[in-house]
Amino acid sequence: MAGLVTTFGAGAMTNAIGEIRDVDFLFVTGSNTTEAHPIIAMEMKRAVRRGATLVVADPRRIWLTGIADRHLQLHPGTDVWLLNAMAHTILEEGLTDKEFIAEHTEGFDALRRSLADYPAEAAEAVTGVPAEDIRWAARRYATTDKAGIYYTLGITEHTHGTDNVHALANLVLMTGHLGRPSTGLNPLRGQNNVQGANDAGASPIFLPGYQRADDPEVIARYERSWGVSLPTEPGLNLNEMMKEVGGRIRGLFVMGEDIVLSEPNVSRLEEGLNRIEFLVLQDIFLNETARYADVILPAAAFAEKEGTFTNSERRVQRVRRAVPPPGQARPDWQILLDLAARCGARWPLDTPAAIYAELVRDTPRFAGLSHERLEAEGGLQWPCPDPGHPGTPFLHEGGLLRGKGLFTPVPYRPSKELADEAYPLVLSTGRTLFHYNAATQTRREPGLHQKQPCAFVQIHPSDAGARGIAAGDTIEVSTRRGRIRATAELTREVKRGCIWMPLHFAEARANLLTNDAGDAVTGTAEYKVCAARVQRVPEVGEGRPPAAGPAR
Amino acid sequence: MARETAAPEAEVYGAGSFYHLLRDDGVQLRVCSGTPCRLRGADALLAAARRSGLAAEPCSCLAACDTAPAVLVDRVVQQGIGTAEIEVAARAGELAAQPDREVLRGAIGPEDAPDDSLAIHLHREAEFDGAALQWAGGLGAPAVIDEIEASGLQGRGGAGFPAHVKWRAVREARSLPKYVVLNADEGEPGTFKDREILLRRPDRVLEGLAIAAQTVGAGEVHLYLRGEFETPRRILQEALARFAPVLPRDLVFSFHAGDGAYVCGEETALLESIEGKRGMPRIKPPFPVEHGLWGQPTLVHNVETIACVPEIVKRGGPWFRGLGRSEPGTKLYCISGEVHRPGTYELPLGTTLDELLLAAGGMEGELRAFSPGGASSGFLPASYRSVPLDFGSLAKVGSMLGSAGVIVLSRDADLREALLDQLRFFEEESCGQCAPCRIGTRYLHEAVVGAEAETGAGPRLSRAAEVAWEMNEGSICGLGAAASKPLTSALEHFPEIFAASPGHGGAEE
Amino acid sequence: MTGALRIDGQELPIEAGDTVLSVAARAGIEIPTLCHDPRLGAAGACRSCLVEVAGEPRLSAACTRKAQEGMVVDTQCERVERHRRNLLALYLADHPAARPLSGSSELFDMADRVGAPRDWGRLESRRDQRVDPNHYVHFDAERCILCARCVRYCDEVEAVNAIALAGRGPETTIATADQRSLLDTSCELCGGCIDTCPTGAMSEKVQLLRGAVEDARLEKVRTTCGYCGVGCQVDLNVDRRAGEGGRVVKVTSPEPGSTVNDGNLCVKGRFAYDFLDHEDRLTTPLVRDAGGVLREVSWDEALDRAAEGLLAVKRRHDAHALGFVSSSRCTMEENYLVQKLARAAFGTNNCHQCAAT
Repeated sequence: MAGLVTTFGAGAMTNAIGEIRDVDFLFVTGSNTTEAHPIIAMEMKRAVRRGATLVVADPRRIWLTGIADRHLQLHPGTDVWLLNAMAHTILEEGLTDKEFIAEHTEGFDALRRSLADYPAEAAEAVTGVPAEDIRWAARRYATTDKAGIYYTLGITEHTHGTDNVHALANLVLMTGHLGRPSTGLNPLRGQNNVQGANDAGASPIFLPGYQRADDPEVIARYERSWGVSLPTEPGLNLNEMMKEVGGRIRGLFVMGEDIVLSEPNVSRLEEGLNRIEFLVLQDIFLNETARYADVILPAAAFAEKEGTFTNSERRVQRVRRAVPPPGQARPDWQILLDLAARCGARWPLDTPAAIYAELVRDTPRFAGLSHERLEAEGGLQWPCPDPGHPGTPFLHEGGLLRGKGLFTPVPYRPSKELADEAYPLVLSTGRTLFHYNAATQTRREPGLHQKQPCAFVQIHPSDAGARGIAAGDTIEVSTRRGRIRATAELTREVKRGCIWMPLHFAEARANLLTNDAGDAVTGTAEYKVCAARVQRVPEVGEGRPPAAGPAR
Repeated sequence: MARETAAPEAEVYGAGSFYHLLRDDGVQLRVCSGTPCRLRGADALLAAARRSGLAAEPCSCLAACDTAPAVLVDRVVQQGIGTAEIEVAARAGELAAQPDREVLRGAIGPEDAPDDSLAIHLHREAEFDGAALQWAGGLGAPAVIDEIEASGLQGRGGAGFPAHVKWRAVREARSLPKYVVLNADEGEPGTFKDREILLRRPDRVLEGLAIAAQTVGAGEVHLYLRGEFETPRRILQEALARFAPVLPRDLVFSFHAGDGAYVCGEETALLESIEGKRGMPRIKPPFPVEHGLWGQPTLVHNVETIACVPEIVKRGGPWFRGLGRSEPGTKLYCISGEVHRPGTYELPLGTTLDELLLAAGGMEGELRAFSPGGASSGFLPASYRSVPLDFGSLAKVGSMLGSAGVIVLSRDADLREALLDQLRFFEEESCGQCAPCRIGTRYLHEAVVGAEAETGAGPRLSRAAEVAWEMNEGSICGLGAAASKPLTSALEHFPEIFAASPGHGGAEE
Repeated sequence: MTGALRIDGQELPIEAGDTVLSVAARAGIEIPTLCHDPRLGAAGACRSCLVEVAGEPRLSAACTRKAQEGMVVDTQCERVERHRRNLLALYLADHPAARPLSGSSELFDMADRVGAPRDWGRLESRRDQRVDPNHYVHFDAERCILCARCVRYCDEVEAVNAIALAGRGPETTIATADQRSLLDTSCELCGGCIDTCPTGAMSEKVQLLRGAVEDARLEKVRTTCGYCGVGCQVDLNVDRRAGEGGRVVKVTSPEPGSTVNDGNLCVKGRFAYDFLDHEDRLTTPLVRDAGGVLREVSWDEALDRAAEGLLAVKRRHDAHALGFVSSSRCTMEENYLVQKLARAAFGTNNCHQCAAT
C-alpha cells in the first residue's frame, strides 16, 4: 500500500476487474488467484482462453501455472532479483517507453545505474529461474500494449515487501504501462474491505483518503472538522503494536480480528497478552483471542448491518441489512458510537449514511460519493471528486495522480531468516479456496469442512522420502518460534526444499511458526519465508477442529 | 509453451462413454440386431451365446447384411458363425476372432460387364499404376473439377449433394492447411457397399483421394473407418504400401478407427470424432468446406463417391454421366433381406427394384415391403417396385435413395418387428445432443411399443406425425430428420400393422 | 457497423461479431432460448431459438447464426411457432410434470409462453440412482434437458472441467469422470452449474434437505459479499417467516453483466452463509469478573466497563499506551469510527488493521 502511494500517488488497483478479460499479457506474481480471488481468476481464465499470454511468477506450481505460457518458479524471497533482472533486460534491449519516462516520471537515471548489477544470467543463479525465461517474460511484457500485473500477499508479506512493490512499479513506469484500460499494476486485496479500511484511515500514518497524519495542514483541517486537537506523533503499525503488547502497549481495542490466530510469532504475542492491563474485543464469535479479553462485545455480521465496503478496484458498494443480528448483538458502528460517547466523545452521527457523509467531507478523492448515490447508481470507483463525477475505472489517465511517477532503485536484500542446517526447509503460508482467514466462518460450514477438514502441509515427495514421510502421515513442523502438527500432503506443487501450509486452522496455527520480522515501511510481517524443519510423528497429534455441525 | 494440452478427465470419460466399443467392457460377442440379420437367425444366435455363458450383446448394423447373421468379435466381423460354432467355442473357453479377408466378401455383380460400363468395377483386380492420378496432374486442378462437374457425380453417402461444388469450395478457400477426409463409417442398416469397395478396390479409393488432395490443395488425407472394419483397414493399408511409389511424396495418409457410433457417419460428427471428441454433429452453417477438420477447409467424401473419381478423370465426365439412366453414373446397390443372393450390384443409377431383384437371384417369397435406402428411407409397399431407385424419384414419393441399402421383406416377415428394429436403431444411435432427435426417437419407439398396451389414455401414435414434423424441422443433423421415416411410412402404407391387436385405437384415433 | 439485415420486417444494423440472436435482442425482438447464457459461447443445442432464414430449406439456430448482410429472418411465422410448441411439448413429455422445488424453472415458463401442448403423455423416467455426498450440488437427471450450460460453464468460465456430457442417445447425461463424487474431482464447488441451469436439474442440495421455500416467498436483499476483496454483489434470499425476523436461506448472484462478478460466485460466497445463525454466535455482552470468568452482562454494563478500562490505561500511562486494531472485515463507516475513536477520543495514531498490502 505504502509502496504504491509513494510511487504512483494511490495505493490501489490501477484498473477495473472487468478490464482483465481484455488484457493481452498477464503477469501474475505472489497471487494464487484461483484460491484467494476465484472471481478475478475467472476473468484471467477468460483472457487466456481468448489468447492472452500468461506468465506466473510463484515458488509454487499453482493452478494458474497449468494454463500459463511460462512459469517462473523462483526461490521464495528472491522476487527483487527476478524483477530487477526483467527491468535489466528491458533496458538492455531498448524496450523502454522513452517518451513516457521523460514526461511522466522522475529518478530514471538512478534506477538505470542500480539495474546494472542485475543481469538475467546472475538472476538465474539466485532465483533458480532460467535466464531465457526471464528475458522472454520481460520482452513480452514490454512489447505488449495491454499488459497488466497482478499481485497480492506473496509480494507484500516479506521484510522486503515494499521493495517488491517498488520493483514492480519500476517495470510499469519504464514501459509506460499505465493510464490505459487493461494496463497497469494491480494489488488484489485479501479481505472484503482492506481497500476501504485503508481508505477510511485505519492506519497509523494516514488519515482518511491517504492524507498524511503528520502533515500539519491535514491535521489542522481535521482538528477544525472534528473540533478536537489531534496527536502529531506517528502511530505504531500493527506489527509494531503486536510486538509492543505488554510493553508500551498496555490496553487494546480489537474489532473483528482474531489476532492470536492471524498474527505472526504468536507465542510472543500471547506472552504479551498475559501482561496487558485491558483488552476489549468486538466480534461475532468467541475467538481464540477471547481468552485474554476483559470485555467482549457481540457484533453484527455483514448481512445484519448497513454500510459500505470498498473492493480491490476502488469500487465503493453498499452493504445492506438482510436479517437482524442474533440475540443482543449490535452493528459495530452502533457499538463504536456508544463507546465513544462513554469516553466523552458525543458525535452527532446516527446512521451509516451520516458517518459516510462525514468521511467523504474532508477527503477530496471521495467527495462525490454518498449512500444516496450508491443506492441510485450501484457501485462507484474512486477517485470521485464531486457529485456529478461518474467515478474512475482506471487510474492515471493522462498522467499520474502523484504528478510524476517515482522510480525507486531497489537493492536485493535476502529474507530475514534463511534455511540453514538446523532448519533446512523454507516455509511459506497462505490461503486456500475452501477456508477464509481464521476460518471462524468457513469451518462452521459443513460442506467446506467436508472438502478440507484439517490442517495440512505441502511437501515435495523427495523431501518427504528423505524423512520417511508418506502421504497422510502426521508430521511436526518446527521453526525457531514454535511447532505444530499437521497432515503431510506430498505434492510437486512445492519446490524441493520448500514447504507450504494454510493459515486457517486453529489446531495447527501456522503463525506459531512464522517470523514477525516486519517490512521497514509497512510493518507487514514475513509470512512467506522462514526456516523450518519437519519430522514424522508416530501417532495422531493433539487438537480438534471446532464442531462443524449444522446450524440451528 | 508450457500450456498443458492434456484433455480434462471428465471430457475423456464423456467422450469414451459415447462410443459403445469403448463403453461395454467385457463383452465377448456382439450380434447384429438389424432386420436382415434377425430374419436370418440373429435372435437364436444371441440366445445360444448367452446360454453358453458368453458375454453377448446385441448391436447395431455391422455392414454385413449380405452374410447375415453378422457377429463381431474383437472388432472383426465374423461370417459363418452358427449356433453350433458358438457352443463349441464356449466349451473350449475361447472365442478368437478369425481375421480372414475372404470371409467378409459377399456376392457382387454384374460379373461380365465390359470395362467401360462401370465406374468402380468390383470384379476387376486392383491396379496400382496411378494412371488416373498422373492424368489428373496433367489436366490441372480446374480441369479436373470441370470433369467432376460434367460427370454429374452426386455424393454417394446418402445426401446426393453435387461433388464438384464441394471440390471447388475447398480449392477456393484461402485458409491453410486444407484436408481431405474419407468417410468409411458405413453403418446404415442394409448397407455394405463401402466394405466391398475397400476389400476389392482399395486402389480406386486411394487414387481418388490422392486426386482430390492434389486438386483441392490438401497435404493430408484422413481416413476414418468404422471400428468394426479391422479387416478393410488392413487391406487398405497394404494397398497404400503398394501405391506409395506413385503417390506424391509429401501427401500424408492418416488412419482413424471409429469406436462404434452410427452417427459418426454424419460428416461433422465424423470430424469431431477424429478430433477425439464425442461424435456430435456440428451446427451448420458453417459447412466443412469452410470450417472442417480442426476448423480448416475440408473435403469429406464417402468411399463410393471417391472411388468413382479415377475413372471419371480417365474417361471424362460425360462418359460417367452416360452410365446412368435417370441420373448420372452407376451406383452400388446393396440388397439384403428375403432375397436369394444378397449382395452388392453396380447398376445404372435409376435401376428399378425388380431389376435389382433379378440381379440378386430373385425374391424369397412374395414382396410385401421394401426399404430402398436403409432404415432412413422408411418402408414402401410392393406397388412402388417400378419407381427408379435414384435420388430424385424416391424423394418424390416421400422416401430416399440414401446409401442405396435395399432391404426386401416378404409377406411372411413381421413388418411390425422390422419397424421396431429400425425405431430402436435410431433411438440408440441418436447422439443425444438435440431434443427433437433424442426425445423424438424415444417417443416414436415407445409409442409403437405401447400401442398394444395403451387403452383409451390418448395413444401417443396420434402425435407421431407432429413429432415427426418436429424431428424433421428441429434436429441438428440428418439422423434426426430421417429417424421418423420408418414410422411415418408405415403409418401411411401399412396402417394394418397397428390395428393388429384388438382393444386399442390404432393409427386412426 | 457492417451492413444490415431484416428481422420480422425490421431493417436492423449489424455490428461486428453479431449473431441473429444478438441483433434481435438489441432490437427488443424476443427469441426464446434455453441453452444460451451471455457468459458462454453459443451452442445451438436446445433448438428453441430456431428461426426461418429466407431461401434456406432448414430452420437456423439464431444463437449460432452469424448475422449477414441482406439476410431476411422470420421469428414469428407459423412454422417457427409450431416448432416452438412441439419442441417444448417434447421436453415436457420427457420431464417430471411439476415445477422444480428449487432452482430455475425457465423451461416451464417458456412452455407457458409458447403455448406448448401438455397432453403428449410422459416417456419412461430417466431418473438414475447416482448419489453424490457433496453438501451443495444436487443433480436430478430426470430434469436435465442436456443443454450443457453447466458443462460449458465449468469449462469456459470456471475452467475446471469437472463435468461433461456422457453416454449417448437416450442415456446421455451429465457426469464426472467415472461418475465419481464431485468432491473427488477438480470441482471447486462454485455452484455456477446451479446458477446457469435453466430447469432446476442442477440445484442446491441444502434447499432440498431443509425444505425449499418458493422463490415468490423469498425477499432478495442485494449486498456485497463479506469474504475476499473482489466485492461480488450477492442477493441474500431471506425467508421472513423463518427465525426471528428472517433467515438467509440461499445466496444467488445478480444477472450476468450487471455487477463486477458478472453473475458468478465462488464456493464461499454462494454457500458459506450458515455461520450467520450458527449456535456459536455471540449474542450477549460478556465481562470478565474478578474470578476471571466471563459473565453475561447488559450492554450498559459492558460499555461502561470497556470505556472505563480504556480510559484507565490512558490515565495510568498515556494515550500511546493504547492500541486500536480495526478490521478490514468491517465496513468503511466502522473503520472510520475506530480511527476517529483512537485519534479524536483518545489522542493516539496507534490505529491499524490486519492488511497493509
